[in-house]
Amino acid sequence: MKIDRSKNSYQLAVEFEKISHSVDKRLILDNVDLAIERNHIVGLLGPNGAGKTTLLSLMAGLIHPSSGRITILGKQLPADTMFRKRFGMVFQETALYQELSVYETLKFAASLYGVPNADTRIGEVLELIGLTKRKNDLVRILSGGLRRRVSIGRALLHKPELLLIDEPTLGLDATARHAIWEHLRLLRSMRNTTIIVATNQLDEAQALCDVVTVLNKGKILFTETPDELVARAGCCLDIDCKRAAATLILNALKNSADVLRVEQTGRGVAVFVKSTTTPDKILHKITRVAPIDNFRFRTADLVEVFQTLNGVYEH
Amino acid sequence: MNTNISAIIGAAKVEAIQLLRSPLLVVLTGIQAITFLILVSLFGLTGSMAPTALVNYDQGSYSKSLIQNLQSAHHSFRLEPMSSDEATKELAQGKLVAEIIIPSGFSQTIINGGTASLAVNVDNIDTDMTHDIQRALPSAISHFANQQEFPNIHVTVSEHDLINHDTSYISYLIVSALALDAFVVAGILSAVSAAREFELGTVKLLWLAPVHPIFPFIGRMITTDIFAMASMIGSGLIVVAGYNVHLLHPFEMCAALSVCVFICGCAGTMLGTALKRVLPVSSLIFGLAIPFYVSSGALEPERFDGNFMWYAGHISPLYYAVGFLEHAAYGFQVTPEPIFLDVIMLFVWAIAMMLLTGYILQRKLVI
Repeated sequence: MKIDRSKNSYQLAVEFEKISHSVDKRLILDNVDLAIERNHIVGLLGPNGAGKTTLLSLMAGLIHPSSGRITILGKQLPADTMFRKRFGMVFQETALYQELSVYETLKFAASLYGVPNADTRIGEVLELIGLTKRKNDLVRILSGGLRRRVSIGRALLHKPELLLIDEPTLGLDATARHAIWEHLRLLRSMRNTTIIVATNQLDEAQALCDVVTVLNKGKILFTETPDELVARAGCCLDIDCKRAAATLILNALKNSADVLRVEQTGRGVAVFVKSTTTPDKILHKITRVAPIDNFRFRTADLVEVFQTLNGVYEH
Repeated sequence: MNTNISAIIGAAKVEAIQLLRSPLLVVLTGIQAITFLILVSLFGLTGSMAPTALVNYDQGSYSKSLIQNLQSAHHSFRLEPMSSDEATKELAQGKLVAEIIIPSGFSQTIINGGTASLAVNVDNIDTDMTHDIQRALPSAISHFANQQEFPNIHVTVSEHDLINHDTSYISYLIVSALALDAFVVAGILSAVSAAREFELGTVKLLWLAPVHPIFPFIGRMITTDIFAMASMIGSGLIVVAGYNVHLLHPFEMCAALSVCVFICGCAGTMLGTALKRVLPVSSLIFGLAIPFYVSSGALEPERFDGNFMWYAGHISPLYYAVGFLEHAAYGFQVTPEPIFLDVIMLFVWAIAMMLLTGYILQRKLVI
């Protein structure tokens, strides 16, 4: 998905124009242009140090860019303090007071944001994040997943138009991750909230996001749908075989037009197959040049996507 | 309700909840206040109860009279009659500060018009104690001589007290220790509260909220000051009941303690915000407390140790606080400045600390 400059600022939740940001002369973001439409769940995807958290912090006004212009919800930053009522942010570290209960945490947030009818609104949020029955539990006894839900609830309390979430499921188990994804999807569908999620997990981007913006080393590589991204990386075919067979397979496939990349692994060879071809066709080709012990098809992970993409960009 | 006021009240409630759910912190901080009272008492106890052996080989009437004068001559003595062997042994073991020996024939020598000699063995490991002994003996001897109307004594002391009652050193000192308590208790509680926001990363929430972050910090400081004041009331009751100090102006004492708590609460918030870490800021406040207290002139009514220390004392709010507290407790004026100037200076300090804390919060909290 390309940035659609024809959208006016009212339709855009976030607009970055030629944003650069340096810390101690180290360039963190390099001339970034970004436009995010309202009512979407957008993923900022990239490896550690790509600049995802910096992008979110710039959107929230927690830091100011070295150069360029940022417009959030039609308002150019820096904006007045009351503008902060229009967005919410969930930090990578949950930043919760350990000695407070879930209810007290939300009550304090309500006092900071001047939320009217605070108790009613807290009740709604507790319902939304599924913690009504545990509202009197202290934060310190909650699991990581529940704490994450509390911080999401806290960010939602003042009904923000834009929600910024840094690593929403960092360190959580599969069940907790799915629960949080479900909450975020529900939130978007119920409130038309624009949600921007920074993550380095491809499956999270696939499961949650309408659009993914891929960053690396402070630059935006491209913006597209998760399916387009996965297709770009292709399917991975893991082959288990002897070392001699692996060498034969590497030589046979290294110039193949159907293969994005091929590399030797501890157990044999990993072949990244272009989405325009079928893995079966490649498997057939392999079995003709060397004997194999076993094989598996799987989706490429984020690291492999980046390795593949770098290869593409190097070409 | 205005969002700023709602943020102050919300933060004050949260701080109260956090403190009540951290009873160990609150209790230990309260205990600190008591231990500092004990610490200050120890200054007085060590200075006033120096164990001194009295070895008396004379059974005459003059030696008995001299002993009576020695016992009332100087507050530093705690005379312990014992044998020469015991005294020598305990002096060597460091259990005694000195050994005064009244020789055999002491009374007879005086009756005969001769000069009697007193032998004194002193443990001079600490010259402060040695000086006490050196000051006390001539004083006791001259008083003894006057009492016995010895010839050639032409000078007597005619004492006129400025104040119509005596105040023991510990009673005097313990009142000023309340200023030290305020510094430690209010300073630590507010500093921990401020630094914890940074350490937990929760300060980011305040940055994102549609209120100036200074308002939640004010709310927190109000609560920590209330807790500190409660602790100070506890310390005050100990001073009144435990040390038998009868407050001359109780309301003035409350006002003095309130201003001290406010100043020290501001200082704690400021240092906690500047350092952003709980452990270093706690250590810093402990490290500053005693020097500020000692340089405040708390240990003696006036500075007798040179102008530098006297001027240095003036840059500490505790200097004026001690002046205010001693006046509230005993009606004393312990500074060269009149009491109203101490009070004004303490309020100037309060306003200055409030502005300085506001400035530091503005610098450190605003993005």
